[in-house]
Amino acid sequence: MHKTLIRIFTIADYEDEEIWLRKQHMSGWKLIKITPPCLYTFESCEPQDVIYRLDYKNRKQSSEYIQMAKDFGWEYLDQCFGGWLYFRKENSTDKTDKNKELFSDNTSKIEFANHIIKGRLIPVGILFLISMILSIPISSLTDFSGGIEYKGLGLFGTILLGIGVLVNTWLTTYCTIKLKKIKDKYKK
Amino acid sequence: MNDRIKRIYSPMTESGFYILFCLKTPKHGYAISQLVKKMTAGSVTIGAGTMYGTLSKMEKDGLIKFCGEKENRKLYQITDTGHEVLSNEISRIERLYKNSKGEDLDA
Repeated sequence: MHKTLIRIFTIADYEDEEIWLRKQHMSGWKLIKITPPCLYTFESCEPQDVIYRLDYKNRKQSSEYIQMAKDFGWEYLDQCFGGWLYFRKENSTDKTDKNKELFSDNTSKIEFANHIIKGRLIPVGILFLISMILSIPISSLTDFSGGIEYKGLGLFGTILLGIGVLVNTWLTTYCTIKLKKIKDKYKK
Repeated sequence: MNDRIKRIYSPMTESGFYILFCLKTPKHGYAISQLVKKMTAGSVTIGAGTMYGTLSKMEKDGLIKFCGEKENRKLYQITDTGHEVLSNEISRIERLYKNSKGEDLDA
C-alpha cells in the first residue's frame, strides 16, 4: 500500500524533516520517493525506528561519498530537488553506538548550516532581489511607451506581484533566522 | 605553512586531529573512523558527513593527498604540510597537558 503526502519544508527545515520522516517510519510508512517540490511517497512497512539524515551538495554527488556513507551503515535514498541527499539507517538499540549522525561534531554541524546559507540562501536571495528590481518598471502604472497607452500589469497583476514579493520576503527572512538559530544551537 | 592554514588548523577540532593523525599511513574514510573508535575506546565517533567534509577540506588545503584507490574508496595520506600542522598541534596539546598538571614549560 502506498500513500503520498504534501509537506513543505524550506531549506532551513532539514532537522524537522528528518524527525518527520523518522516518525512516519515509526508508524509504518517508509519513504520511497520524493517528487519535487513537496510530494512524499511512502510505502507501508513494519513500524521501525529508522533515523533519517539529510545532506546538501551543490554538485551531483560523487560515488565516493555515497560509498563512504554506505561503509558507515547508511542507506542512500536519492539526491533530489536542488541537491538534497537522503540517507537512513536503523536506530541501533546499542547505547554505545554513537554513529547516528552524518555530522558528528558541532563544528561540522555549523559548517553544514553555512554551506546551505552560501549555496542556497544567498544565491536565491540575490535572484529575488534582481527580479524585484527588474519588476519595478513593469509593475509601475506609469506610461513608459510614449504614445501608446500602457497600463503596466493592471490591478490583478500588481496584486499577484505584491503577493509574490511578500511570500519571498517572508521565506528569505524565515530561513535566515532559522539557520542562524541552528548555528547558535551548536555554538558553545 | 602559511598563515591561513595556521589560523584554520590551530587549534584543530578533535575529529580533525584524529583524522590527520591516522593518515600517517594511507587509509580511506571508514578505516579512519574504525581506528579512531578503537584508539579512544569509543569516546570519539566521527560521522560520515564530518569525515567526508574534513577529508575534502584537508586535501584542498594540502594537508593530505590522494594516494590510490581501493574498491571505489579513495585512500589518503598526510603531506609535509600536514606533518607540520600535526606536530604544532601536538606541541600545543603537550603544553596544555603539562600546565594542567601544574608543571611549567622548560624555558
